[in-house]
Amino acid sequence: MASRRALKAVLIDLSGTLHIEDVAVPGAQEALARLRCAQVAVKFVTNTTKECKRTLLERLQRLSFDIEEREIFTSLTAARNLLEHKEVRPLLLVEDSALEDFAGIETSEPNAVVIGLAPDHFNYEMLNRAFRLIIDGAPLIAIHKARYYKRKDGLALGPGPFVTGLEYSTDTKAIVVGKPEKTFFLEALRDLNCSPEEAVMIGDDARDDVGGAQNTGMLGILVKTGKYRAGDEDKINPPPHLTCENFPEAVSHILQHLIS
Amino acid sequence: MRRSASRAVIMADQWPRCVREMKGVILDMCGVLYDSGEGGGVPIEGSVEAVRRLKSSDLQLRFCTNETQATREKFVGKLKRMGFDIDVREVFSPAPAVVAILKERCLRPHLLVHDDLLPEFDSVDKFNSNCVVIGDAADNFSYQNMNTAFQILISLEKPLLFSMGRGRYYKETDGLKLDVGVYMKALEYACDLEADVVGKPAPMFFQSVLNDMGLQPHEVLMIGDDLVNDVGGAQRCGMKGLQVRTGKYRPSDERDPTVTADGYVDNLACAVDTILKYRCV
Repeated sequence: MASRRALKAVLIDLSGTLHIEDVAVPGAQEALARLRCAQVAVKFVTNTTKECKRTLLERLQRLSFDIEEREIFTSLTAARNLLEHKEVRPLLLVEDSALEDFAGIETSEPNAVVIGLAPDHFNYEMLNRAFRLIIDGAPLIAIHKARYYKRKDGLALGPGPFVTGLEYSTDTKAIVVGKPEKTFFLEALRDLNCSPEEAVMIGDDARDDVGGAQNTGMLGILVKTGKYRAGDEDKINPPPHLTCENFPEAVSHILQHLIS
Repeated sequence: MRRSASRAVIMADQWPRCVREMKGVILDMCGVLYDSGEGGGVPIEGSVEAVRRLKSSDLQLRFCTNETQATREKFVGKLKRMGFDIDVREVFSPAPAVVAILKERCLRPHLLVHDDLLPEFDSVDKFNSNCVVIGDAADNFSYQNMNTAFQILISLEKPLLFSMGRGRYYKETDGLKLDVGVYMKALEYACDLEADVVGKPAPMFFQSVLNDMGLQPHEVLMIGDDLVNDVGGAQRCGMKGLQVRTGKYRPSDERDPTVTADGYVDNLACAVDTILKYRCV
């Protein structure tokens, strides 16, 4: 069953899969090196909305991961692409640290709302501003809808709950650009010349990483690090192709069973 | 005046026919009696007099609000200062109802509510909380406070969330504001749960008002500015529901695919004019 497709690409989540905040998952750097020796393309796909590509890259390099900037595809990039396509001026509910990826986008007199993970902006006054724009017809663009994420001090609310609240307030649906959207995964694979059936996704989020990838036609591997909580693998149907302890184990599985 | 849908005109012509069988009226407060805002808000023109006229009629009158920004006593005091003839015993609000549930089920709440509502919960044990209660907390809806509520819910074996109302937004003198329902939805999504709504449009809440009046649903008319929670909620209990074109009313309400009011009136004064006129015929 494992040999039914020739694997051409591996998509890898960052936060919670390769590292947790500023600590690498043990053995992850070496596992990535092993994967790179095989005949597969590697891409890093992330819903981390607080950080621009440059910051992500700097952290990964600091943690001794062998990664290049062009290999990173983030939901911020996907959001920027959509703003340019729609020619709208966004109210940006993203943290200052993410603004670099929106450099050059016009933001005066906003007629759209972009919402990422922005605890500093998720206060009552700012959400009211966003709400009033949306009820007057501005599109709501969500970088992703993750329910929560893992911090050193425990689980913390992601942007998803606030997006859901704004959707309810205005009876509209957000345009989601990050994982688990199909368009996100397809866009990530676009320059790899690879169909979803020839790719596998590794991540710690059952719905957004594994479920999203599998809905696109890829295989999904769930790792029990980061935000993983016992029983997460039962939250999606079909279940993950594989659930394993960590990224190094996922790589071993790929090398042994998915690459002939 | 604005009557955008022809259907609305027909309905507006029909609703007074049922007025003669009516024995009671329930009024929503914010957006019907007054517009809230800085300094407590301002009465809607004609509403003070309209309440007085209803009170001196043979109809029973109750007030039903999802207001959770102040204790019932303080809230009624504010309306009295605006000139309304209202007694605390005539007003039904979610906080006393939720307190009764907490005591009955021996639950200890973590509260995400407006500071001014806290005294309503003085008699409730809040130590080592095993449920979360949210109300219209306004500026208290910070990321940090939402996160605390989330962390408590997600740590419970069986997360339990009580929401005092499920409104989307309300109108203050300086514009539309997000209501508690938005934050209820946020926590529901975050924790994969469904909140227990206490307040409108929960049938239990309307039923407690009907019980107090000693009336059957078909004998009572609900008047509100919220199409879904006031009008739709009352209709699901078997009452008639009128929407006023004040407060949070938007013209698109009259074309809503899910709820059609039994009538639309420009304001409470117009509604009371019509009610009293048809009862005299």
